[in-house]
Amino acid sequence: MGQSTLTAPSDTLARPRVSAGSTLRVLLAVARKEWIIFTRYPTWVIAIIVWPVIFPLGYIFTAKALGGPNGASLHAFERLAGTSDYISYIVMGTVMWMWLNMTLWDIGFHLREEQMRGTLESNWLCPVPRLLMMMGASLAKLSTSFIFLILTVIEFRLVFGVSLVRGNVPLLLAVVLLTMPSIYGIGVMFASLVIRFREANAMVFLVRGLVSVFCGITYPLAVLPVWMHGVAQFIPITYAIRDTRAAALSNASFAQVAPDLAKLGAFAVVLPVLGCLAFAYTERRARRTGSLAQY
Amino acid sequence: MPAESLARYTWASYLRAVLAVARKDWLHFLRYPLNAVFRIVEPIMWLTPIYFLGRSFATAQGNIGFKEYVGVGDYMSFILLGGVLSSFIGAVFWGMGQSLKQEMDSGVLESNWMAPVPRPLLLIGQTVASITITSVTTAGTLFLAWLVFGFHVSGNVLYALSAALPMIVALYGFGFAFAAVVLLMRDANTLIDVSNYLVSIFSGSNFPVQVLPRPLLVISLALPLTYGMDAVRGFLMHTRTLIPLGYELLILLAFMALMVPLGYAVFRRVETRCRRLGTIGMH
Repeated sequence: MGQSTLTAPSDTLARPRVSAGSTLRVLLAVARKEWIIFTRYPTWVIAIIVWPVIFPLGYIFTAKALGGPNGASLHAFERLAGTSDYISYIVMGTVMWMWLNMTLWDIGFHLREEQMRGTLESNWLCPVPRLLMMMGASLAKLSTSFIFLILTVIEFRLVFGVSLVRGNVPLLLAVVLLTMPSIYGIGVMFASLVIRFREANAMVFLVRGLVSVFCGITYPLAVLPVWMHGVAQFIPITYAIRDTRAAALSNASFAQVAPDLAKLGAFAVVLPVLGCLAFAYTERRARRTGSLAQY
Repeated sequence: MPAESLARYTWASYLRAVLAVARKDWLHFLRYPLNAVFRIVEPIMWLTPIYFLGRSFATAQGNIGFKEYVGVGDYMSFILLGGVLSSFIGAVFWGMGQSLKQEMDSGVLESNWMAPVPRPLLLIGQTVASITITSVTTAGTLFLAWLVFGFHVSGNVLYALSAALPMIVALYGFGFAFAAVVLLMRDANTLIDVSNYLVSIFSGSNFPVQVLPRPLLVISLALPLTYGMDAVRGFLMHTRTLIPLGYELLILLAFMALMVPLGYAVFRRVETRCRRLGTIGMH
């Protein structure tokens, strides 16, 4: 028997045809699968309802203690923050932090969980662009982020009597929309790092820790030393927190925060691109080293 | 011929089993060195926003508002001591609470439980590992915090340990019961996360509980951990305590006397139930 009988003719090899329709189908199929997995464990409902209210409590009561029973130290805070309403001030910062934290756990752990379950390798064998699968997962997580933000706004109104949507609302929305690509860009970059280093918890602690240390989630940036100011300038959340506070608490205009908006816009372009590059690098490296199934 | 167990139980064999389990947990801990380092560094990252929050409330005379509540203005040492004790709370909720569930998820719980040693010994081994790991990482955190923020205590460390030890032993007793309950649940992450955070907050890890509104203060005063944190700070920093220190020590000893047998009883009950229903391999 000749060797030619064992070789498939090249024209019979299936080649995936990538079209806009097939791309959309893949995106939605992955998003649907993620959403089904997510809703199979309904304790997320409890988490998404409870956390927005309880997370800022620690900081709010610490601020109350620092202010003193008669508000003896409150004027010092007011001088630096421009407001004595420390509850709203802290809540604006913690909401941004929680949004990032949620994205890190959800998107960042998406690949890692597939790796732990042993499905990452087989999924990546599908004849679809791997980045598309990542984007499908991000789409599902985006919907949970919207639910989280809407619930947060409602709960703060009901529990703390704090209205988050106030002041210059169009500016507030613009800041949130400009922050979104940055947060998801960080998420995709983060997912790639997790696959590379395989120590997901530590990576979450590092990224969210940097944000909580440098970005002023609870305090005015004026109290930071100069070198920490320098670091904070390279983190988009710094601007997002500062501008949501300016829009909601000080009724700032677009012109007043224009320089910050320009920086947020630049981050919104650069970080998703960096996320895609990091993902492509991780994908290439994993295929070369055969490390996808290792954990 | 009557059936006879081949395993011979002695105190030495119990000790070997406990140390073997503790050694296994230490090996797991050290196999992920980044995670190990972050156990030390992460509390600093949580404390930094509070440090700067304190700076933003500081007047020319220092933190006078805070001093009115507790009698001392050194809010950072106050919060650091709370952070150290809450790291044990976190270790119990996450380390002990998840310990059996993680083994179940990895598919090794069933085979581990087939080992001819009493099942509670496996948890005691994990407790030994958890306490030693948390003590080492906490010492590292305190050293770092001393470098970054400055940390001053002027009181008697031995007296403070007399309050901290019964509190920690009681916590691990509770951990036995909690680990068993988590074993029965399919997805307990939210329960653990929320419980850990609320217990830490309401026991006053970050602030004097006097600032809480009345309904929340009732919850706080019902938690024995509140008196543990208060007593340790009272001994080390001479803060104004909620009740006299002697009473706080009595509450902690009673808490320990209650939680250890209770935790053991709950664990035995869940273990029996799992064996009867054959649910150990399910998740």
